[in-house]
Amino acid sequence: MEQNYIKPPVEVRYADQLAALEASDTGKKPENWRLSPKAVRTFILGGEAGGVKIPRKFYGNDALVERCIITLAGSRGLMLVGEPGTAKTMLSELLSAACCGVSTNTVQGTAGTTEDMIKYSWNYALLLSKGPCREALVPSPLLVGMENGIFARFEEITRTPAEIQDSLISVMSDQILNIPELGDEGLVLAKPGFNIIGTANTRDKGVNEMSGALKRRFNFETVMPIADVRLEKEIIIREAEDMAKAGHIDCPIDTDVAELLAVTYHELREGRTAEGTVVEKPAAVMSTAEAVSVYYQTISHSWYFGDGKTDMGLLTENLLGAVCKENKDDLEKLKAYFRTAVTAKAKKVGGAWKAYSETAGLLR
Amino acid sequence: MEGIFGNGRLAEIAGAAGELLRYDPDGKLLLFPVRHHSPVCAFQLRRAIEEFSPTVILIEGPENANDLIPVLTDELTRLPAAIYYFYKDKKKLVSPDAEDYKCYYPFLESSPEYNALAEGKARGIPARFIDLPYCEILINTVSSKGLRTDAEKHSYTDDTRLARSQFYKRLCEKTGIRSFDEFWEKYFEIEGLKLSAEDFCKMMHTYCVLTRNDESKTELEADGTLARERHMAYRIQEALDSGEKVLAVTGGLHSLGLAQVLKAGKIKPFKLHKMTADIQGAFPTAYSYQAADALHGYASGMNCPAFYDGITARLKNGDDEAEVYNNATLELLIATAKESSKRDIPVSIADVTSAKSVMTGLAALRNVSQCGLAELSDGITSAFIKGEKTMSSAMPLTIMRTLATGDGVGHIGDKSHVPPLVADFEKICEQYKLKYTSVIPQDIDLPLFTGEKGIAVSRFFHRLNYLHTGFAKLVKGPDLHHGRDRSRVHEQWNYRRTPQVDASLIDHTTDGFTIEEACANVAARSFAESGRCDDAAQTAISCFEMGIPLTESQTAELDSIVANDGDFFSIGEGLRCFGRLYDLRKLYNFEDESSLAYMNSCMGKLISALPMMTNSPDDVADDVVDIMRLMFSLTGGVLADWRDTLEDALLTMSVTDEKHPAVYGAVMGLLYAIEADRRGDAENAMRGYLSGSAEVRKKGADYLRGLFRTAGDIVLADDSFLKMTDELMTGFETADFMEILPSMRLAFSYFTPSEIHDIARAAADIHGGKADDLLSGDVIDEGLYGFGKMLDSLITAQLSGGEQK
Repeated sequence: MEQNYIKPPVEVRYADQLAALEASDTGKKPENWRLSPKAVRTFILGGEAGGVKIPRKFYGNDALVERCIITLAGSRGLMLVGEPGTAKTMLSELLSAACCGVSTNTVQGTAGTTEDMIKYSWNYALLLSKGPCREALVPSPLLVGMENGIFARFEEITRTPAEIQDSLISVMSDQILNIPELGDEGLVLAKPGFNIIGTANTRDKGVNEMSGALKRRFNFETVMPIADVRLEKEIIIREAEDMAKAGHIDCPIDTDVAELLAVTYHELREGRTAEGTVVEKPAAVMSTAEAVSVYYQTISHSWYFGDGKTDMGLLTENLLGAVCKENKDDLEKLKAYFRTAVTAKAKKVGGAWKAYSETAGLLR
Repeated sequence: MEGIFGNGRLAEIAGAAGELLRYDPDGKLLLFPVRHHSPVCAFQLRRAIEEFSPTVILIEGPENANDLIPVLTDELTRLPAAIYYFYKDKKKLVSPDAEDYKCYYPFLESSPEYNALAEGKARGIPARFIDLPYCEILINTVSSKGLRTDAEKHSYTDDTRLARSQFYKRLCEKTGIRSFDEFWEKYFEIEGLKLSAEDFCKMMHTYCVLTRNDESKTELEADGTLARERHMAYRIQEALDSGEKVLAVTGGLHSLGLAQVLKAGKIKPFKLHKMTADIQGAFPTAYSYQAADALHGYASGMNCPAFYDGITARLKNGDDEAEVYNNATLELLIATAKESSKRDIPVSIADVTSAKSVMTGLAALRNVSQCGLAELSDGITSAFIKGEKTMSSAMPLTIMRTLATGDGVGHIGDKSHVPPLVADFEKICEQYKLKYTSVIPQDIDLPLFTGEKGIAVSRFFHRLNYLHTGFAKLVKGPDLHHGRDRSRVHEQWNYRRTPQVDASLIDHTTDGFTIEEACANVAARSFAESGRCDDAAQTAISCFEMGIPLTESQTAELDSIVANDGDFFSIGEGLRCFGRLYDLRKLYNFEDESSLAYMNSCMGKLISALPMMTNSPDDVADDVVDIMRLMFSLTGGVLADWRDTLEDALLTMSVTDEKHPAVYGAVMGLLYAIEADRRGDAENAMRGYLSGSAEVRKKGADYLRGLFRTAGDIVLADDSFLKMTDELMTGFETADFMEILPSMRLAFSYFTPSEIHDIARAAADIHGGKADDLLSGDVIDEGLYGFGKMLDSLITAQLSGGEQK
């Protein structure tokens, strides 16, 4: 089933694991939750359930995951904030799938998001023929969440105008959504298990700042980039393997190249190399997700156009494309990184770093 | 717990000696393992004392402080307190460097060792320390290990090993625990309260044995652990042999070592060195929670000491063990919310409720029976931090941490063991009638040069400042270090005695037994460590302020520093400082003539190096000129013998090919000042600049700057220099003029206002105007003003690099 979709939802992708956890779950569950908080933690942070090995899906901060689970079991919403590419969306999907069995009940925040996308809208044909009735109502993911006692996910909430964001306040305060057009039947009370998981990109800070009133209704968690290069390398390898498998690309994953990419992204993000040399940080997002994308592009290109081996020149070209998107200075910063850090590592370590350094001429 | 710590395997992992680790209330010996400052260890130890009913309590601690135990348990003593140990290695038993050593042994309400002492006193059970005396520990420790590491402050209670155990690290990896603090709190502090004393003892032994097994024998030997354990075991055996029922309270990691030595039997007594009171000693001292918390960093002590002391107090007051952490963390949560609100961080009751709910939920999720500091910290993170977690938004966490650390300072009740420096301090305060017992800040005005008391108290305050006691603060008065406010004849000080004063004085015990001696020794060390003339001169100024004459060895040290320093500017600064001291010696009644000798040494070195400074880079040229002025000034007085040599050096500089124009100008100015006939040479040099290309002419401005700095009167003598200056300034294109403008402004800043007025008058004459015309002009019509304004904006645009419109 999984292979029939480009990106199957989490509950489909990990259906066997969720089933195993559910079957062996003896912990106390908040009402309407599919799994207990302990089982949700195992699903996200890894462990074992009824003889089935549950691999870790979120790396970095275990306590953050625990706080997220407990927040969702309470009365406040959960707001995940952080740099782009820090797996906020993935974490919110994992939490939704594990707690409610559904990760697709989502509002995507954009500059064009309107209040009816958040609350409800109408099927105008039915509205004209039958008048305001339940049948003519098009429920928003928020309304679906309230009625079914599941989570509603609100992606990129700060891309949405502030006045639209504020339409969440009454729902979160009173757990009630009023649909005046339906008269006496228009009062929707949230069922137990309903909650909201928001995500907000810190690079959007100030675009549509959340009101104090709305902030008070959320517990915030800041998702930081992965600080451990070894962990970042593991993620690149694992994610690239998964993507290659999904794309039927039978290309071996070169761990040396994955490490090199992890180091490059880590050092450019931190502005300092492992040897202590200060390098300029590019303005572009240097996330692990971007590194995975660069690597997948490289093996994909090699698979379709090359001999299936990782071509270092292609890697550098893809890196160039990923880093130099918005700011012309980023090219110079990348060149400087190659001149200093990559050249030094090529001399010291040799191997893949040497081949990598020889591709510096492609940076133009 | 059983599964995690494998208690059942204690006998297996501890080997044959494991039988001595058994908890047997009817036995003769109970080895009770503790972590320093751990409330649960203190709690279970009190239970064990009750159950075991020992006839003697032996405690890990250097035994040369045994006579201070009554001071620590005195009713008037308030914790945190500490025993301060010092040892002066004059006999070179520790190392050939004959260094001084010191360390603190802190006691908090939650310290098991303190609880053992207090329980012993309450129950009439003798209690004493059994570890090697401090000096013997040092003698048996290899350099840079144990108490001989390079840490700034040493604590006897070092729990580093507990925190570096591979066992706990593996456990953390498995369970997602973030740190040793969280691990310890969860498995020991909170869960340990549910256990019986016997089970707790067993769990501690198991963890400590597993941890000790990670350590190599070589390492244990190197840091003195094995030697200490042999001695402690000997003391325990000694008590057992005399029929005592012994409860030994030691760090958990020592238990297995002690058991092994006791099991092996035939323990030989340690041969202790004879030490006199002036080279080895111990004093009780007030300690602070902040200092105790700092141990968390380098000695892996318990963090947040006020919070854990609060736990101990609650347990002693009979709080329910099953709720004590829940209550304490809730109280701290509320206190954090209140303090956050006081600092304008919006925290509502709903936030507190949410944080509490998160804490409770996390405790359940983590299988910990009560909310600890880890859960509290997570609750605050979730509910109080709104938006991205940054340094500023995470302020509630900082507030919580500060409250949990506490700001309390202890007090020593029994004053019969006052450390020598504190005694000297109090004696001098009495002598000068200073209100040293008050915590209210006191102001005092000291006339420096009338009567003896003013200067004597000033010196006393300067000495205390030199030892960084924080007792006195100079509000107003001469600043001899920077040569500021030298004309002031009074000093205004503000002083107050705080616990920090005592702590700093005690810290300097190894430096001497009187404040004067301590200052002299610190100064001697400063001289010895200083490789630069300017640094050494600053130390000499400190000695001058403190009224401490330099010793012969310090004088020799200074000579050597001046002789070996190759930095022109360092020696120049040294000359300036020594000159200042020489000038003030009589005024301050400090008849130390040695500064004249250093001035001569500095002058000799500077003169020989001066020609090499002729072509100094731009950024130091003005500094060179300043030093040249100083040299000229001093050779006009006390160093007159050097004037001819200086003149020769200046002449050499004047004919050097490559010259910095400002230095050259200064040279010509000084030569003119020495011999007025050389005015023509200075003029010729200026003409040389005027007749050159635009680049050379620009240098003329720098030349004038140097010249005016050293011989400003040259421009006032007649109008030739003024005309040349005028020619220089009017001959530039606008852009070039703007370039030299800063230099010219600086050049004219060396004149007094009346001289500038005279120069302005002469300049006006050159252009056929009057000086008054420069100050007030005709009424300007509106159109002209508008034109001027437009011109102004064009100039501004040009200056900022913009296009001219």
